[in-house]
Amino acid sequence: MTSLPVPRRPRSWPRVAAVVAVIAAITAVTVTPALGGIRVDLGAIARNWHYGAHHLAQMAQLDFSILPRTAKPLLETLEMAVVGAAVAAALALPLSLWAARPTNPGPSRRAVRAVLNVVRSVPDLVYATLLVAMVGVGALPGVLTLVLFDLGVVVKLVSEAIDSADSSYMEAGHAAGGTQTQINRLTAAPQAWPAYGSQVLYSLELNVRISAVLGLVGAGGIGRLIDEVRGFYRYGALAVIILEILVVVIAIEVASNVLRKRLR
Amino acid sequence: MTERLATAPGAAQAASGPWPLRLSDVTVRYPNGTVALRNVSLSVAPGEMVSVVGLSGSGKSTLIRTLNGLVPVTSGHVEVGPYAVDELRGRRLRQLRGSVGMIFQGFNLADRTSVYNNVLVGRFSHTPTWRTLLGLVGHDDRDVVMAALDSVGMLEKVWGRAGALSGGQKQRVAIARALSQEPRVMLADEPVASLDPPTAHAVMSDLRRINSERGLTVLVNLHLMDLARQYTTRMIGLRGGELVYDGPAAPADDAVFEEIYGRPIQARDTLERSS
Repeated sequence: MTSLPVPRRPRSWPRVAAVVAVIAAITAVTVTPALGGIRVDLGAIARNWHYGAHHLAQMAQLDFSILPRTAKPLLETLEMAVVGAAVAAALALPLSLWAARPTNPGPSRRAVRAVLNVVRSVPDLVYATLLVAMVGVGALPGVLTLVLFDLGVVVKLVSEAIDSADSSYMEAGHAAGGTQTQINRLTAAPQAWPAYGSQVLYSLELNVRISAVLGLVGAGGIGRLIDEVRGFYRYGALAVIILEILVVVIAIEVASNVLRKRLR
Repeated sequence: MTERLATAPGAAQAASGPWPLRLSDVTVRYPNGTVALRNVSLSVAPGEMVSVVGLSGSGKSTLIRTLNGLVPVTSGHVEVGPYAVDELRGRRLRQLRGSVGMIFQGFNLADRTSVYNNVLVGRFSHTPTWRTLLGLVGHDDRDVVMAALDSVGMLEKVWGRAGALSGGQKQRVAIARALSQEPRVMLADEPVASLDPPTAHAVMSDLRRINSERGLTVLVNLHLMDLARQYTTRMIGLRGGELVYDGPAAPADDAVFEEIYGRPIQARDTLERSS
């Protein structure tokens, strides 16, 4: 075991140092107001923390008397989440195939992507506010908001998964004289299925969190109740509602993790 | 649960006679400037079994893909049966492709779906798009698929996932996919380069059987000398995109291959010695 002619290991630390320096510099600029950065005043935490601590202390005194009133809005939130995710899933499958290069080599892909970029760049609370104005207070504007939000997320992630996946089977489909639609239906859709299913489950998880907030602008669900108890400074009741949402979110995550494992 | 089918009409043999192939002064220049084929002319009679031999990068894959229009020619003419391939677009191009089966080095199966769906791909050109979209499969198509799978000994796996098969099984399914087109011509692009020697021989035998029993015109790309000699009757040599040999395969000696390869013969040029 004498000296093997092992080539010298290339040095990597100069690159690592350069990357760290760049990240540090960018961070420094972004927190320096003189250079156009944001103001981050850590001293404010020390000066003000006791106000927040007071609220936290109030929240620690859980007020379970709110529980009976939460059942219905919480169920509504869940229903909104499921319906929103289901409608978005139905629309997202063809849209994902149209938005990915292997499954749509033509120019219409750019149009689909452009529209989805617009859909995705509008914040969900803006959708909710506009839709409440258009279709009235209730669960419907909430569901529509969730559908638009989910479409943006699911189509982007699934189409990117299709873009980066191996698509050699496409060549066989073309060589057999298939149209792009035939190839997509019979082979590309099943190939995209795990990515698609996984993202739809993820959108369901997101929906529960988002729909909890949508009530603040009148779009149904538990959010309206959150707004109300906050308005009356009932922090103990607020804590109970948050715990309930936490339980629901965890339950959905556990369920979707189980389902996701079966997708492979 | 093997379902034996009575001989499905039209499935066991090609719809009708094989087609001739002709390339006239074909040049292919890729958008990046690479010239993959340079003034290649050749013609193949109906029912011939021809190998195209050359090193990787010699233009074999490009040549075979000009025949079904997967690669458009820059100049020259390509005729396959009654079709002038270089003039085809859209529906007519798909019609031609429906009559030309093709198998690939990497099998090109959709791994996550069933063997059945993968072979059904071969029926695309015989099926209106709306029927495929709705998932409607006619009895005839189903019978053709089952007969094609049976002819390569893969009928048992019809409902299994394509991704769960071994390499040799995948290539058999790919052959069944091509056969279910009921083609007049069979193209094979390095069909055994990803397979171990016994499986490689089995797949080459399948191709030879397709040629002799169904009488299909077969064009197969190979980089191994012994397979070309053993399984094909005529051999075309490509070097740097130019045709450098066109003659009988069996008597081609090492000197001929050294001329095609442009270098001395090495152990990896044959299946037996390289394995």
